[in-house]
Amino acid sequence: MLEIAWEGGARTRHPGRQLRWACPCAECRGEGGAPGRLDGAGELPDEELQLTDVALIGQYALQIAFASGHGTGIYTFRYLRELGG
Amino acid sequence: MPSPSDQQVLTALSTIVDPDLGRDVVSLGMIKDLRIDGAGEVAFTFELTTPACPVRDRFKTQAEEAVGALPGVTRVDVKMTANVRPGFMRQASEMLPGVKQTIAVASGKGGVGKSTVAVNLAAALRQSGARVGLLDADIYGPSVPGLTGVHEQPKVVEQKLVPLQAYGLSLMSMGFLGGADKAMIWRGPMVSRAIQQMMSDVTWGELDYLVIDLPPGTGDASLTIAQSVPLSGVVIVATPQDLALDIAVKALQMFRSLNVVPLGLVENMSWYVCSECGHEHHVFGHGGAERAAQRLGVPFLGGIPLHEDIRVEADGGAPIVVSRPDSPAAKAFRDVAQQVAARTSIQSFRQLPVINVR
Repeated sequence: MLEIAWEGGARTRHPGRQLRWACPCAECRGEGGAPGRLDGAGELPDEELQLTDVALIGQYALQIAFASGHGTGIYTFRYLRELGG
Repeated sequence: MPSPSDQQVLTALSTIVDPDLGRDVVSLGMIKDLRIDGAGEVAFTFELTTPACPVRDRFKTQAEEAVGALPGVTRVDVKMTANVRPGFMRQASEMLPGVKQTIAVASGKGGVGKSTVAVNLAAALRQSGARVGLLDADIYGPSVPGLTGVHEQPKVVEQKLVPLQAYGLSLMSMGFLGGADKAMIWRGPMVSRAIQQMMSDVTWGELDYLVIDLPPGTGDASLTIAQSVPLSGVVIVATPQDLALDIAVKALQMFRSLNVVPLGLVENMSWYVCSECGHEHHVFGHGGAERAAQRLGVPFLGGIPLHEDIRVEADGGAPIVVSRPDSPAAKAFRDVAQQVAARTSIQSFRQLPVINVR
C-alpha cells in the first residue's frame, strides 16, 4: 500500500493492484496504436501486484516497482492525485 | 528596571515579517541563541536562509529597533548569519548528497547569454559568502572553461573527479574532460550518462548552491537533470526580442510539466550602452521580458545590460562581478543573484507530497 500525504493536508491511499493496473509505461499501455500488456489481460498474478520499490523522479513523479520486476512506470504526482480520486 | 523576558523579546521580533515568505521571522525559526543578561543586554543570532538575502540590512535594523524599544533593554547585539536550507526530499537524491540547493539556468534558444548569466550568478552568490559550485551541463558547447579561464584537466581521486577551482567556485565541465577544442559527437543517451556522471562521480563536497548551466532548449540534458535531482528551481534567460521570449516560454513549459519551479525570468542584453556616448539603446525592444514574465505568472528577476565590458571580461575568463565589481553590469548581476537566492529560499519551504509505503 502506497500512502501519499499531499500539500494542503489531503491523503490518498493506493493499493498495489490499483497502481499495477494503472501503470503508465509504454509496455503496459501500448504505443503507436499497438496494444499494450494490460490491454486484454484478464487477471495478473500476485507478484505483479505487490509493491517493492518507490523512487522519486526529479520532483514531479514516482517510479514504482513490483515484485515481478516490472518497474518502468513513471507516475506523475498529478496522475497519482487523479488515481486517488 | 528588570530585563525583559525571552517571550517579550520574541514577541517584539515577531513583528518582523519576511517579505518573500510572508511569515514572521520568529515562527520561521530565524532567531537563534537568544541571551538576555541581568543588565538588560540582549544578544541573539538572526539566521537568514541565504547569505545573499536582499533585506539583510533592513532585518538587522528592524530587529535592533524592535528589541531596543522594549522597556529595560540597554543594549541589542544582533549577529547576522545565514544557513541555506536544504531543498525538500533531499534524502531521496543520492546523486548530490552534500548539495543543499540546485539552481538550473536554462533558455529556450541559444546565444542569449545563459552561460554568462550562470557564471556571474554563481560568482555573485559566492561573493555573498555561500559555498557555490558550477556544473556546465552543456555537453556539446561547454562555455564554463572559457568564461572562467580554466583549461586544466581535473584530478581523479578514488575514482572520482575533483572539481577545478576558480574565483572560489567549484567547477566541472565537459570542456575540462574532452579537451576544449574537441567536438562531442554524441547521441542523447551518451549525453544523459555524461551528465549523471558529472553529478555522481564528482566530489562536489558541501555546497550551499550548485548552479547548473544547461544547454539551450528542451532536450536530453535538461530532462536528465530534471529527472535525476530535485531541482530547487530554474532561472530562464531570454533576450527582450519577441522571438527569443516566445521560445523561452517553451523551456518554461517543459520545467513546469516536470514540476520544477521557475524561479523567474532574466532579461539579458536588455539595453545597449554606447561606449562612445553612454546612451542606452533598446536594441531588442524594451520591457519585453518583464511583460512576458507577468503574462506567464513568473517573477521577473531583472535585466542585464548589453555592455562591451561584460563581453571583454567574459572572453578574458573573468566574471564581471569579480573583475569589475563596481560596474553597473556587475550590480545588475548581483541584483539578479539576490532575487534568485530569495526565490530559492522560498522554495525550500514548499511542501511536496510525503510518501509512505507499507
